Amino acid sequence: MTSVALMVGAPRVVQGVKIVNPMGNEEMDPGAEQRLRRDIATGALHALQAEVNEPTLFDRHKA
Amino acid sequence: MRLELNIIRITKVQSADATAVRNGVLSVNRQELEELVKQDTRLTDVAIELANPGDKCRIVNVADVIEPRARIAGSGPDFPGAVGVQGTAGHGTTCVLRGAAVLINDYNIGGRQYQRPDEGMIDMWGPGAEIGIYGRTCNVVVLASPANGTGTDDYCVALKIAGLKTAVYLAKAGAGLTPDEVEIYDHPSIRETAGPLQDLPRVAYICQVFTNQRVPLPGDPVLYGHHIEKMVPTILHPNELFDGALTDPYRGYAATYIIQNHPMVKELYQNHGKTLHFAGVIISNAPSNAPESERTANVAANLAKWILGADGAVLTKIGGGAPELTMARTAQRCEELGIKTALALAHQGIDASEITLKASTVFSNVPQVDAMVSMGASIASPMLTLPPADKVVGVADGSQTGKELRRPASDIKGSFSQLGDSRLVAVRY
Amino acid sequence: MVSKKLRVVHYLNQFFGGLGGEDQAHRGPQIVDGPIGPGRAIQGRLAEKGEVVATAICGDDYVGERIDEAAAEIVQLIRRYDPDIVIAGPAFEAGRYGVACGAICKKVQETLNIPAVTGMYGENPGVDLFHKDVYIVQTGDSVRTMDEAITRMVKLAMKQAAGHPIGKPAEDGYFPRGILVNEESDRNGAARAVAMLLDKLKGRPFEPEVVQPTHYRVAPAPGIKDIGSSTIALVTDGGLVPAGNPDGIESRNATRFGGYDFKNIGSLAAADYDVNHSGYATVFTRQNPNRLIPVDALREIEREKGIGKLHERFYSTTGVATRLEMARKMGRAIAAELKSEGVSGAILTST
Repeated sequence: MTSVALMVGAPRVVQGVKIVNPMGNEEMDPGAEQRLRRDIATGALHALQAEVNEPTLFDRHKA
Repeated sequence: MRLELNIIRITKVQSADATAVRNGVLSVNRQELEELVKQDTRLTDVAIELANPGDKCRIVNVADVIEPRARIAGSGPDFPGAVGVQGTAGHGTTCVLRGAAVLINDYNIGGRQYQRPDEGMIDMWGPGAEIGIYGRTCNVVVLASPANGTGTDDYCVALKIAGLKTAVYLAKAGAGLTPDEVEIYDHPSIRETAGPLQDLPRVAYICQVFTNQRVPLPGDPVLYGHHIEKMVPTILHPNELFDGALTDPYRGYAATYIIQNHPMVKELYQNHGKTLHFAGVIISNAPSNAPESERTANVAANLAKWILGADGAVLTKIGGGAPELTMARTAQRCEELGIKTALALAHQGIDASEITLKASTVFSNVPQVDAMVSMGASIASPMLTLPPADKVVGVADGSQTGKELRRPASDIKGSFSQLGDSRLVAVRY
Repeated sequence: MVSKKLRVVHYLNQFFGGLGGEDQAHRGPQIVDGPIGPGRAIQGRLAEKGEVVATAICGDDYVGERIDEAAAEIVQLIRRYDPDIVIAGPAFEAGRYGVACGAICKKVQETLNIPAVTGMYGENPGVDLFHKDVYIVQTGDSVRTMDEAITRMVKLAMKQAAGHPIGKPAEDGYFPRGILVNEESDRNGAARAVAMLLDKLKGRPFEPEVVQPTHYRVAPAPGIKDIGSSTIALVTDGGLVPAGNPDGIESRNATRFGGYDFKNIGSLAAADYDVNHSGYATVFTRQNPNRLIPVDALREIEREKGIGKLHERFYSTTGVATRLEMARKMGRAIAAELKSEGVSGAILTST
């Protein structure tokens, strides 16, 4: 729940998928899910490199 | 739409050769009822147990509670889409056995949880019976096992439908009787009320029904026989909630019984025409991710503003902390559109050691969302010493549940409610 | 029947105790007979019901540098006077003084088994530290509010000494102590919510039963400059634990976290893990633990040199109904461990 994370002051927040499956999606086939997880992880790494001044939401697909 | 509820008061339930209602006594032909339930071949080992207030009986693993209700011939199908064929609920005449309740028990699935993982315990005597209301209703418990080859999901759906069918079967026995009282719920369309009540503030009720923090039970007949986990908020006539259009999601945070007697809808009906103009009911679910929460909030607020023309809205949530986000966002959107909001919150997780009684950390920092009622905190439940039971219903053999138990009051089904029927308020000392 | 006159001992810092200002903050504990300074106002409020038999005085720095020992020393001085209650301060906004008052009152309760009351302003760190242990009366931020502070403190102290039930925080003017009780209202929640809405719609004042939380701001760490040579770690609050939950991490309101190694592993295997979290349906994360701790994805990126190294230990706890204080504590501890292992960045997956 990204808005929660932003509210409590987490500086870098990346959009996950859903509460019950944050870095996955059981509705996808395994290959597609793997790529999705990779995308979110990549988005997270991108966020780690960014300079931020306040709680910021990052896209999952940016490389 | 006009709904008349013919209320028959029940003070005792007993086993008998024929199912009938007479002088407040509900007689049940258990065998006939068991045969009815067995018609669903997904179920086997069907048993019907009866329990009266005062019996030293403990009932556990209660997955839902349903008030016996049946629509009088010509009114329409019972629990449309779930038990009966598709149709609409909320109009005509429905017979209600008040003081009785149908409980469904799923002890056979060993803890697989769909909504709230609680034991759903009811004590018919002693300190436990003082908590909630089901210790004081005359209860008919439906027990069954999954038939060979029936998966857990199908079993749960079948059990729920069996509970609804039982509720109808029992209430039919009272259908021909003169009611002890009649409750009338008559709410015409917006066009008819707009003029005469124009000086009163228009108040809508935004009601969460299902939380996506739990996995929905496939096939769960929640709204007119189908699930709502992907639903976008929609408008129902208040009578539809009273009359079987909506059931509580399987092992939900509330109970179908409470929806049938919805406290917030009742309160708004009581005030309608006096202090407010009841503008209507919007039902929604609580999505499990932020973008869908935003969508839900936006749609619900727009419905309240542009379709129901609301000046104010009351909101309730269902579930743990995550649904508070959808609730907060919805309230925020309403306030931005000029709709004043009041929220009724029951606290599931709350940090009791913080200085001020705060909403859970999920809440937004939105100053206009400032009218909040606290309906108690489950963690502040007192510990109860529950005496040993003479009879336990709904456990596997060898369970220790019959002995003396030390449990928080929140373990009792119905002790704690998110819909507004409880008088609890969490107070800080 | 004449009830016994209450014996009260008062605690003051070096300033209010008349020893001097900041230059006397180092002074050690001492005790004198009778009331001093604000103690006279306390005596006035007590009237014939009580007597300020002694005043204990100590420098704020002396206490600040050795809180527990100083509190114990002061309590030893106090006990000689055989008091029925101890009143400390009020400290208003003075932080060291507030902490001293809180610590001394707590020690008095623990050691002498008698009630103790203090007073300070909301922002005083003493409130945050001691509100759960001690009744702290709410005061203004300066000595101008001394009168009201003394009145409240004496009233509360006398109630305690007499064994009378203490009222709600708003009634008796103290900071809530974190004790939550479910009481029964005269109306159900629905009725109260609708009534509150009508008040709000009419512009009438209303008293909310719940208020918004305030959140701390955390200063963001600078962005990672050279991701291709940094070590990245994975953390989760989704309750992922090795099968059997060896550290017994709670499934709600967690007070523990675990660090779990996965050396030379390319992807977390479902059979090796459990998910222990009562706040969401864990079926999907059990099926594939990488959905919580994405080892598989990070290994891919590591192979492609997108990061320098994946730290081969993940950290996990359960984030449902977890106390804020505990969450902060665990967060700090995890961060310290990661930092000592040369980790530059962490990805926290939250449910």
